[in-house]
Amino acid sequence: MLRRILSIAANTFRETIRNKILYAILAFALFVIGMTFFLADLSVGDFARIIADVGLASIHVFGVIMAVFLGINLVSNEVDRKTIYIILSKPVRRFEFIFGKTLGLSVTLLLTTLAMATVLFLVHLSYRYGGRAEVGIFIASAGIYMELVLLTCLASLFSTFTTPVLSAIFTLSLFLVGHLTKYLYVLGEQSKGTAVRWGSRFLFYLLPNLENFNWKNEVAYGGLKSFSILGWAAGYLVAYAACVLCLSCLLFARKDFK
Amino acid sequence: MKDRARILAIEGLTKSYPTGFWRKPVRVLSDLSFEVRENEIVGFLGPNGAGKTTTIKILNNLAFPDAGKVTLFGGHVRDGADVRRRIGFMPEQPYFYEYLTGGEFLRLCGQLCGMSRANTESRSSELLARVGLSGARGTAIRKYSKGMMQRLGLAQALLHDPELVILDEPMSGLDPMGRMEVRGIIRDLKAAGKTVFFSSHILSDVEALCDRVIMLHKGRKVAEGRVEELIGAETLYVELVISPVLPPARLAAAGIPADAGQAQGDLLVLRAPDNGQANRWMASLLREGCTVLSCVPVKKDLEEIFMERVGGSGATGTAS
Repeated sequence: MLRRILSIAANTFRETIRNKILYAILAFALFVIGMTFFLADLSVGDFARIIADVGLASIHVFGVIMAVFLGINLVSNEVDRKTIYIILSKPVRRFEFIFGKTLGLSVTLLLTTLAMATVLFLVHLSYRYGGRAEVGIFIASAGIYMELVLLTCLASLFSTFTTPVLSAIFTLSLFLVGHLTKYLYVLGEQSKGTAVRWGSRFLFYLLPNLENFNWKNEVAYGGLKSFSILGWAAGYLVAYAACVLCLSCLLFARKDFK
Repeated sequence: MKDRARILAIEGLTKSYPTGFWRKPVRVLSDLSFEVRENEIVGFLGPNGAGKTTTIKILNNLAFPDAGKVTLFGGHVRDGADVRRRIGFMPEQPYFYEYLTGGEFLRLCGQLCGMSRANTESRSSELLARVGLSGARGTAIRKYSKGMMQRLGLAQALLHDPELVILDEPMSGLDPMGRMEVRGIIRDLKAAGKTVFFSSHILSDVEALCDRVIMLHKGRKVAEGRVEELIGAETLYVELVISPVLPPARLAAAGIPADAGQAQGDLLVLRAPDNGQANRWMASLLREGCTVLSCVPVKKDLEEIFMERVGGSGATGTAS
């Protein structure tokens, strides 16, 4: 089973790294991150802070574009191109296919995030006014990466039953909502209606809380030095991603290919 | 044939697909039943929309039946990896990962089938040579022609040496040479003890290859049987070719109606309604001093049987 999942993952990784659009997005992301070197001169006070701030925001935005763009086509492309007919006619279970595809894309996103984080680290290090080796860039990037993996799982869930356009809309909606769930909870708790309170609590736990992976501000203000905070976020990612992937597998298990 | 092991059995298979905004179900297969036994070559015939591809998808777990039972190697079709390892499948107009080369794609298939790297490499070389793609092993699939894709599809279906080979329109997109090669491969599979189940529009290929045929129309089975039983059951007419061409008066004197013959150059082609009449005509013609060059009983071919069973106008596909 593991060998089949890894074979599908390796093939998905090969597919994504041969995708020219991915390189175009990555090149543009690296260019923007590189430009923060000059942008820092325009800021007031801690010059290097703007590098980390804008750089991490760039990693986040371009990472989400990559995750959504590649994730929504993860399964639907295989169905549209009918390549799935050959794969699923082999001794491959459908959940192995979903796991392998998601794993392959996660590896691609790991490499692209690492490339962006490394460039940002070097830009930050080489800045002439207060530049330093900011390890927090890698910690915050690890958080962004975990968020991207979760978005990939959500995109692959949607791509099992709907079109790429709708998958993109659903995934981006959850991305936006995922950064606002704590406000949903706070607003719900202030309500006098029990149903509203319970409803907001339910949605708070049901929807992904992507703020669990957000440490950009801590890095920008120099308050993030330890990798230990990754543990809780990784636990949340594993639990949530497992639920999403199980749902994907359940939906995909009964899918008819016309 | 009945004493051979039952490889594939379908009983009462029914399938509908939801269509349109209201997802109104449209029946694609209705109470379809048949079986395929070990070492048979079985042709699955029908026009476009008859339900052939849907049946084949159900056999490959790509679609699920509404009702009915599908058994492969004695187990349920969804029994999992063990059953799938014994089946090779080539879909209609196969598509592959265009960013891979032919060799890389077969390596991926070998990994998915649990084959060792060495075995995959040796089988790939053997099969690529067999389907005429040795020179294209390192070429990206995006550069393959339609015929090359079809050949690669055949190679991947046979890579893990399956016992049952299911081919959906294997001749589609191939030139006459390619069709001949595929026919050769199918015959070789039978000689190697494999079972082959394939769908096709090209009735002449089916007639030349198959032990048995199953004809499908609008999701229902309209005929099933051994090819020689289907085409050999009834003689349409007996064709006599004689020389020289006799004038109508001499034909009438020999007891042959004038409209039974047609001159073709120096030859006269006669159509006798049955063997008895043909014998009587031959005796008369010999008395008239003619030479009988040939006497051939003409039987129905699969195309005629097919058109007869589907009611002619009902067939929407080509039956060539």
